Amino acid sequence: MSITLRGVTKQFGEFAAVDNVNLDIPTGALLALLGPSGCGKTTLLRIIAGLETPESGQVLFDGRDATLWPIRDRKVGFVFQNYALFRHMTVFENIAFGLKVKARRERPSGAAIRQKVQSLLDLVQLDWAGDRYPAQLSGGQKQRVALARALAVDPEVLLLDEPFGALDAQVRHELRRWLRRLHTELHFTSIFVTHDQQEAIEVADTIVVLNRGRIEQSGIPGDVYDSPRSAYVHRFLGQVNELRVEWREGRAYLGPVDISSDPALQSPGAGLVALIRPHEIDVVGEAKGWRATVRDVRVIGPIVRLELCADGRPANEPLEAEISRERFDIDRFHIGQNVGVRFRRWQLYPADAALVSGAAA
Amino acid sequence: METPAIAAEYELPASRSLRRRGPRPEVHWGRLVLIGVALAFLAAFVLLPLLVVFAQAFSKGVGVYLAAVSEPTAWSAIKLTLAVAAIAVPMNLLFGVVSAWAITKFQFRGKSTIITLIDLPFAVSPVIAGLTYILLFGARGWFGPYLQAHDIHVVFAVPGIVLATIFVTFPFVARELIPVMQAQGKHDEETALSLGAGGWQVFWHVTLPNIRWGLLYGVLLCNARAMGEFGAVSVVSGHIRGLTNTMPLHVEILYNEYNYAAAFAVASLLAFLALLTLAGKSFLEWRQPELKHGTRRARANLEK
Repeated sequence: MSITLRGVTKQFGEFAAVDNVNLDIPTGALLALLGPSGCGKTTLLRIIAGLETPESGQVLFDGRDATLWPIRDRKVGFVFQNYALFRHMTVFENIAFGLKVKARRERPSGAAIRQKVQSLLDLVQLDWAGDRYPAQLSGGQKQRVALARALAVDPEVLLLDEPFGALDAQVRHELRRWLRRLHTELHFTSIFVTHDQQEAIEVADTIVVLNRGRIEQSGIPGDVYDSPRSAYVHRFLGQVNELRVEWREGRAYLGPVDISSDPALQSPGAGLVALIRPHEIDVVGEAKGWRATVRDVRVIGPIVRLELCADGRPANEPLEAEISRERFDIDRFHIGQNVGVRFRRWQLYPADAALVSGAAA
Repeated sequence: METPAIAAEYELPASRSLRRRGPRPEVHWGRLVLIGVALAFLAAFVLLPLLVVFAQAFSKGVGVYLAAVSEPTAWSAIKLTLAVAAIAVPMNLLFGVVSAWAITKFQFRGKSTIITLIDLPFAVSPVIAGLTYILLFGARGWFGPYLQAHDIHVVFAVPGIVLATIFVTFPFVARELIPVMQAQGKHDEETALSLGAGGWQVFWHVTLPNIRWGLLYGVLLCNARAMGEFGAVSVVSGHIRGLTNTMPLHVEILYNEYNYAAAFAVASLLAFLALLTLAGKSFLEWRQPELKHGTRRARANLEK
């Protein structure tokens, strides 16, 4: 099922949780609504589910106006962050719930329900847990039960609110891969909400970055990561170093580095800030680039993170650089060493907009 | 000969200082005193009066006791009390569930006013509650002329007693449920809706099982108060023997007539009903933690 949002707005008192959102979600998409807490992503998900009614705007399901459809008619599966399993029912009864509450003429026979639940238990790899109660399961297992329960009624859309939020890193990684596989196999439209940019990039086909109830940018994860349209998106999708552009005699500099040839520089003297990701910084020999001192070295598996104190930059604003383990094994940087810093890539944004996050765009 | 003496000389001070510096073994005086005071209070102010009630009730023998309890006016008071509770408790059960549901699952204006109003019967003296019913439904009350014209008896009749009892007991169920339902949020209900359940199905299969213990607890408390209410009922009942006397009122009348044995006999019956309610409550509390998460059934399943 394809979903279209047209000018969707939801107010809570004076506060616009969702502000004029337009979005096309094609059938079979795996889409992430991404943003910090309070950006309106969960409210948007609840509007799609029918758990909230927007003040204005439309929600279209396959082109039909579904704005006021009750949730039970929408064919959506909704999975909450806290799983919301029915505590007094066994895992089996939880999964069977959606089938058992169907009107008599639509309800499958007892044997058919048993068979369906069993196949779902197999799908989520919990075939042994049918008689257990939710309290006896781990977080990851509860999450899979919640998914199986949502899938039991053959939804055409799966909506997940922070599906991996409450799990530890190992389980989260496994579940992400599993969800992706499930999505590919069953091919429904999935939308999930997350505040974790890495999760969004890892799982989704499309990410939608939200800021204060508005869509800041949407697209393929790699594209959004590589060409963020605003400083807000740039910052939200990963670590950044921020450097103010300094104008001296009509030329633009980042520290001592002359960037005057950058076509993004418009009028001379404009207040600009450059955002540079740690892996876009090159650490070279002392004689070249911006002189800096290594202040900290962290080996994190395949990458090495260096904290660099650049000349002329305040000590509490070190530059953060990431180099590959292979590079590090050759150059062996150590704390206190003098090095040179080069910027392979940077992106310029208006300085004020960059400081007041989100006002750009 | 010398070595043991030296050892003694060196060891003694050492062990003494150790004893002084190390943590002292805890003396449980504080705990004992607190428990003792609590028990003494309970014994003096709760247990003793209760025993006195039963002792007095049987002071003139079982025969007098049975006669007092089975005497027609006593019997009618017992029936009236049970009937009033049988009407008031289900009404407040309904009201409590509906209001707790509305307050915890929906956002609307005037919510805090409703919460305050629910507490009103706890704050207002029952006598005042009774008087307001006289003012509303009495002969000279607001609705008095209308009621008289249609020959409807509210005050000094059973309907008045039922109304007063409902007023006095209506916070119990709602008060018990609101915190429980607030803590549980509405994700369970929303999930059930998304799975296609209708409103009643959500209530029966999801909400009710989640609140059943709080609900039973509230109903028990409501019932205890409904049977024992004196003040409000006393004002509206009119004390017509055999007609509008509930058990507490009957006890008072017997007592005022210096018929102590009979008064205490009926009182003991009332006390017995209260004890029964409390026993029911303790039983529920005892079972609740286990049943709440279904662990007992689950354990049975595991042992299979």
